[in-house]
Amino acid sequence: MLLLLCAAGWAVAAVGSMMVGSTGIGWPKGELIWSFRRESTLVASLIGASLALAGVTYQAVLRNPLAEPYLLGVSSGASLAVFAWSTMSFASLQLANISQQAAAFTGGIATLAIVFLLAQRRGRLEPLTLLLVGVIVNAINGALFLLIFFLARSTDLQKAFRFLAGGLQPDLAPSQIITVAILFAASLVILLAISGQLNISMLSEAEAQSLGVRIHRLRWAAMIVASLATASAMAISGPIGFVGLVCPHVGRLLVGNDQRKLIPVATALGAALLAVADASSRMMGQLPVGVLTGFLGGPFFLFLLWQNRKTGGGA
Amino acid sequence: MTSPTTLPTPVLTATNLSFAYSEHLVLHEVSMELLPGQVVALIGPNGSGKSTLIKLLCGLIHGSGDITLRDQPLRRWRRRLLARTVAYLPQSPTYEPADRVAEVLRLGRACYWTAFGLETDHDLATVARIANLLELNDLLDRRMDQLSGGQRQRVFIGRCLVQEPAILFLDEPNTYLDLKHQVDLLKLLQTLAHEHHLAVLMASHDINLAGAFADELMLLSEGRLTARGRADQVLQPALISQAYGVEMIQIPSPDHSLLFPKLC
Repeated sequence: MLLLLCAAGWAVAAVGSMMVGSTGIGWPKGELIWSFRRESTLVASLIGASLALAGVTYQAVLRNPLAEPYLLGVSSGASLAVFAWSTMSFASLQLANISQQAAAFTGGIATLAIVFLLAQRRGRLEPLTLLLVGVIVNAINGALFLLIFFLARSTDLQKAFRFLAGGLQPDLAPSQIITVAILFAASLVILLAISGQLNISMLSEAEAQSLGVRIHRLRWAAMIVASLATASAMAISGPIGFVGLVCPHVGRLLVGNDQRKLIPVATALGAALLAVADASSRMMGQLPVGVLTGFLGGPFFLFLLWQNRKTGGGA
Repeated sequence: MTSPTTLPTPVLTATNLSFAYSEHLVLHEVSMELLPGQVVALIGPNGSGKSTLIKLLCGLIHGSGDITLRDQPLRRWRRRLLARTVAYLPQSPTYEPADRVAEVLRLGRACYWTAFGLETDHDLATVARIANLLELNDLLDRRMDQLSGGQRQRVFIGRCLVQEPAILFLDEPNTYLDLKHQVDLLKLLQTLAHEHHLAVLMASHDINLAGAFADELMLLSEGRLTARGRADQVLQPALISQAYGVEMIQIPSPDHSLLFPKLC
């Protein structure tokens, strides 16, 4: 029932978004415009849903309300790997789409591993330290991007701008969208399947084990699947911030902290949010959606940070 | 029904349990058993190995020696099945302040949930039954941060009972509770053991309260089990003085004598 409600909520937002174009609001006239808006809305929804899904999972597993793919550096790591991969000459081979996904996943996981390694202290991850390390890693990823851009003597400023500002990749092949859709669907099913156990991951290790949950295995599985969802989205877009932060928190206000309800609700909110952001971007002359989510998420993040400090920095 | 002449079969038996953190031996060849319907209080000074023993018996950590749970070695129990037999309440249980009491109780059924966290009618009925037993019905919609320390502790015990365990391990459950709530909690544990045939093992720092409510006391000192028996057998000034390193005085009372540290 809840899943149907989520799907219906997203569908309303998606249909509404499809009615928004660069020339104004109205049902698209002509097959070409309809097809463009449909694909753009679908891609934006997939990316938003993937990022929100990853965000809600990171927050549960890390017991950190500020965790999300962008702030942890996973998004920029995945995007950087895709950019580096696509600048290499052999990326145009037949398997380019799949290898782009693989590059994104490798980049995302590698960045996450580095962030964890640097942020952990005796096995504990403090929320603010994690964020600080995420910010530093994001900055390094940005510098690496510029280095690759310079060394490759690339003149594709559009691509560069997309990476830096978080835009959706245009002219996607159907196979690329299908790959992202399959990876997202698989991630969603797996995370929904373990959503009950994710509730337990909010408890201490001893309590989780005494309730029958193999907590280390669960945490690793959830982190890998969430990173897979992030990476698959980043393979077709630049690093889009704050979707994975805002949606879980809004979802919590709607349905509480039960991951069995929160995961589908936050995911639907992510899909709807980015579909609406994409429509707004069309109205604003194809402004990258990352700019819009940044305007929305930045103040929201500061509010959460302030609240987190007020409560003593605990999760 | 057990006849008066035969003892009930132990639900858990531990033989020669030892455990060391790095090279520091915390527990040394402890042997014990737990019977259904019995409250056993584990007493001893800080660092005597109480928490370590409880964690070993729950299967949360592993040392040397043998633990048999319902005639099967503890190591061979699958984690989910173990959680349906053994419940554990740590000294400081974790909770999300915004979580509702009903949500916390339902977590206890996690070891019964199927994929996607689907709950059966029996799961919901068990939560309702335990909420009723612990008089938590009026609190079910309350946030955890709106409860008193005593109420919160009852919720955590409820979460353990929702697991429908045969054994309940509690690590210093009286911490943070005032006297009235301490007494209420111990009465509750006594009722659960005697009327619901639960085996209860709790670590306690209050030797007199433990003596008043537990059927048996186990005294740990420097990782060794130095005494085990009824309160009047274990709460002996010489034994307790030696274990705690402080001279004790004995004050007679109707049920059993009370022990207090000699202040001057």
